[in-house]
Amino acid sequence: MSVFSDIFFGGLFQGSLYAMMAVGLALVWTTIGVFNFSHGVFMMLGAYFAWQLVAFGLPVVIAFPLAVIVMAGAGWILQASVVRPLIGRPNIVLVVVITTLAAGSLIENGALTVWGPRSKQLPSLIEGNTTIAGVGVSLHQIAIIVITPLVLAALWSFLNRTRLGLALRAVAQNEDASQLVGLNVTALYGLAFAIAASLAGLAGIFMGGYRFMNPSMGADPLLKALIVVVFGGISSISGPIFAAYLIGFFEAASNYYFGLYWTPALLFLVLIATLMVRPEGIFASRSRGLA
Amino acid sequence: MSESPILSVEAVTAGYGRVTVLHDITLEAGRFGNVGLFGPNGHGKTTLLRTISGLVAPKSGHVVFDGKDITGLSARAIVATGLIHVPQGNKLFPDLTIGDCMALGAYSPRARPHESENREKVVKLFPKLAERWRQRVRTLSGGERQMVSIGTALMSHPRLLILDEPTLGLAPKIKDELCAAVMDISRGGVPLVVVEQDIEFLLELSRQLFLVDHGVVKTEIRPGESIEHSEIMAMYFGH
Repeated sequence: MSVFSDIFFGGLFQGSLYAMMAVGLALVWTTIGVFNFSHGVFMMLGAYFAWQLVAFGLPVVIAFPLAVIVMAGAGWILQASVVRPLIGRPNIVLVVVITTLAAGSLIENGALTVWGPRSKQLPSLIEGNTTIAGVGVSLHQIAIIVITPLVLAALWSFLNRTRLGLALRAVAQNEDASQLVGLNVTALYGLAFAIAASLAGLAGIFMGGYRFMNPSMGADPLLKALIVVVFGGISSISGPIFAAYLIGFFEAASNYYFGLYWTPALLFLVLIATLMVRPEGIFASRSRGLA
Repeated sequence: MSESPILSVEAVTAGYGRVTVLHDITLEAGRFGNVGLFGPNGHGKTTLLRTISGLVAPKSGHVVFDGKDITGLSARAIVATGLIHVPQGNKLFPDLTIGDCMALGAYSPRARPHESENREKVVKLFPKLAERWRQRVRTLSGGERQMVSIGTALMSHPRLLILDEPTLGLAPKIKDELCAAVMDISRGGVPLVVVEQDIEFLLELSRQLFLVDHGVVKTEIRPGESIEHSEIMAMYFGH
C-alpha cells in the first residue's frame, strides 16, 4: 500500500511541475509556432524575483503572485525583443531557437551577476509535513499538487470560455484569417509569451520551495518540458498536460523499481519507442491548435 | 447613377520580398455597384485583394476606401473601417466550431454591437450552418466551409465585402447555392468586390468587370458595354 501511495504522490508531484512547465512551452508553440528555449530561464527568473521580493520583506502571499505578474511582463519583453522582429521569416523556427537560447544565456548570466552563485531557497507555500496513506509528504508538495490542476483548469477555461482565449486559439490555427477578422496578432503573440512566462515563473516558485535555487536551475526542467511536449504531442495544450502526469508517474515508478540512475535512460527509451509508433506524439491531433 | 467610388486603388505596386506582382495597378470600384475581377491564375488578383485588406503592404501607390486613405494600415485597422476580405480557399480555423468562427467574426469593436442581428442574418442565409453550430470546421465539406468563411465576414458587419473565388472547387449544386447566397448579400445592400473564374456568375452579379493580367488591369468592362463570352475567352487566351 505504502509503495503504491509513494509512487502515486511522487508521480502526482513531479507531473504537476512538468505540466506547469510544459504547458507554457506548448502554448507558445501552438500560437506562434516557435520553441522558446529561454523557457527554463523564465522558471529560474520567477524563482529569483520571488526570492528578491521576499528578501525585501514582502509576505509570501504578496511576493509570489507579484513575481508571477512580473514574469508576465518579462515574457512580453522577451517576445517583443527576440521573437517579434523575426516573425514572417521563412526560417523563423531555427532562428528563434538561437535567439531564445542566446537571450536565455544572457539572462542566466545576468542572474548570476545580480544574485551570485550561492544557492538560495524560497519559503514553502505552506510549512509543515503530514502523513497521507502511510506516506510522509510536505504540505508544500500537497499545495503544488492542488494548485497546479486549478491553474491549468483556469487556463483551459480562459482559452475555451472567453473571447480573448478564442482569439488566441484562432491565431494558433490561421494567422492570415485571424488578421482578417481584426485580431491584433502581435498583441496575442505577446500574450502567449506572457502567460507562458508566468506559468514557468510559478513552476520556479514551486521548485524553489523544496530545492536549492541557482541561476542554472531551469536547464533540467526545460529539457523535461521538451520531452513532455514532444511525448504528448506539440499540437495542443491538453496533450502535454496528460503527458506530464504520465511521465511523472513513470519516473516515480521507475525511481522506485530501477533507481534514480536508470530513470532518465528508461524515460528516453519509452520516448523513442513511443515516437516510433506515433511520431506526432501520443495525444496529438493532426494540426496546430489549442484545445 | 454614377456615384463616387467606394474603393479606389491608385497606382499600386506590391509583391512579396523582391518579387513584384502588381505593377502600378489602378482601378475604381463601387461607382456602378458590384465589381468583378477575373483573369488567369497567378497574375495578381489575390495579391491585389491582400494589398487592399492590409495583409500585403504596397511598395507604392494608394488604396482609398470611402474617402479615407487606408494605405499601409494594419489589417486590423482596415477591418475596423468595415472593409472585409474573405480569403481564397477555405482553410479558416480547422479546430474551431462554426459558433466560434461567428464569435470571432464579431471580434472588432465595430461589429460587436451588431452581433446577434448579424448572426440571425447568417443563419437565415445559410440554414445549414445552424444545424452544425457546434461542429468543428475541419469536419465540414468544402461548400460548408465556404459558407462559414462568408458567414464570418458577415459577422464583421461589412460595408464592403471582398470575396476571393467563393465558388472555387465546389460541386455544381453547392456552387449554385453559394452564388444565390452571394446575390442575396448584394441585394441586402452590401457592395461586393468578387474575384471569380466563373464569368457567367460575374456577369450576373456585376456590371463592371476588370481583367487583371500580369499585375495590371488589362481591360475594363463598363456597364452598357455588351460582352460576349467568346470575347472573354479571347481575353484569357488570345495573346
